[in-house]
Amino acid sequence: MDQDDSDAGTQTTNEGIQIPDAMLATVEGAINAVLALDAEGAHRLAPIQGRVLLVELAGFGTRIYVVPGESGLLLYGAYDAPPDCSVRGTPAALLSMALSEHREDAVFQGAVEIVGENRVAQTLGEVLQGLDIDWEELLSKVVGDTLAHRIGLQARAGGRWAQRTGDTLTQDIREYLQEEGRLLPGREELRAFLTDVDTLRDDVERLAARIARLAAQPRKS
Amino acid sequence: MSDDKTTHFGYQEVPVGEKQERVRAVFDSVATRYDLMNDLMSMGIHRLWKRRAVEMAGVRRGQRVLDLAAGTGDLAEKFSRIVGPDGEIVMSDINEAMLSEGRSRLVNAGVVGNLDYAIANAEVLPFASDSFDCVTIGFGLRNVTNKQFALDEMFRVLRPGGRALVLEFSHPTVAPLARAYDLYSFSVLPVMGKFVAGDADSYRYLAESIRMHPDQETLLSMMEQAGFERCRFVNLTGGVVAIHRGYKL
Repeated sequence: MDQDDSDAGTQTTNEGIQIPDAMLATVEGAINAVLALDAEGAHRLAPIQGRVLLVELAGFGTRIYVVPGESGLLLYGAYDAPPDCSVRGTPAALLSMALSEHREDAVFQGAVEIVGENRVAQTLGEVLQGLDIDWEELLSKVVGDTLAHRIGLQARAGGRWAQRTGDTLTQDIREYLQEEGRLLPGREELRAFLTDVDTLRDDVERLAARIARLAAQPRKS
Repeated sequence: MSDDKTTHFGYQEVPVGEKQERVRAVFDSVATRYDLMNDLMSMGIHRLWKRRAVEMAGVRRGQRVLDLAAGTGDLAEKFSRIVGPDGEIVMSDINEAMLSEGRSRLVNAGVVGNLDYAIANAEVLPFASDSFDCVTIGFGLRNVTNKQFALDEMFRVLRPGGRALVLEFSHPTVAPLARAYDLYSFSVLPVMGKFVAGDADSYRYLAESIRMHPDQETLLSMMEQAGFERCRFVNLTGGVVAIHRGYKL
């Protein structure tokens, strides 16, 4: 038996910066409020309900246990059950994994370490990324339906304008850098260059192999 | 205690047979305002105590959990969300008014499907031996007439490998806190009880029953006596509340 006066975790070691329970409870409430805005999306949590996911922030030693409910998440600073899946990485690496479309990249680069049942982390990531939140509905509760709809229209128009402007700007900059300034190679130039590099590398390898073969031949006198 | 002719009801001595009836009267009286009073009395901290209990229970998908003295079902609600459709939660209380209150609260919150309800005396549980992965009793043990019987029963219904958690008011470990706490519970609580729940006596009983409850070490040894192993406790808020946990191995 032992007794424990501190607020320490029970079976896990408790080094590092741990998030106070009250703050986790608040964050949990906020996340679940957002999840509730897309009830259908949140129900995709069902297959991983009651699984234990440990998220560990490397460098800080912070541990957060995420236990999905049927349509919301429960967050704990310590959870006395072995995790089904643990994900470990620096906050930046975890964030970029969460936001990127090719999540496996972060894992292959070694920035994020996943141990256990990957499906738990995968599903959770997909649910959070796939949320289709009806902001307009949320806004209508504050300012009323009519105004919310108008704001929504403006926002969508604004969004499309921003998207269009952004696309055009990207294209213009690319054209300038490649064609006008000749600062960057064009796609075709780059491909040709890379092919040349490949050919050269193969040639060098063949030559090296040939030299090795010649050197290994017994000298004929 | 089982051999005594009388037992304590708060600071009063009452015949053993009478305590159960008196406790029932207290909770019948406070049932409808129970959640509100909990929030007021503990200044919301009871939610953090219960969170900690859920952490220490470490329940996972598919498990069977018995929540004794479930009251309005705060713990049962969390467990129900965690164990999912493959698991089962039995929410039990000796007091019908409290259990009905809890049941309607959970049904309104959409927590249904894997929850069963049972009016049961914790000293004689109507469940098969070795049938639960986890048994919890939150703020209930001190109201049970014979606490050792209740711990024995919790041990019996647990599966080998299962764990029992007792979340209960305990004895503050810091002297200044203890004095402030005494002042609070004997001066402020009954007044608050009178104005909010219209019942000062019931809340005086709550304060007194907390003082009569065994301290951390005593309860730990009672758990060991019931057969629990790897027993430990964690003090929360300076010992105002303690969580005891033991495993059936």
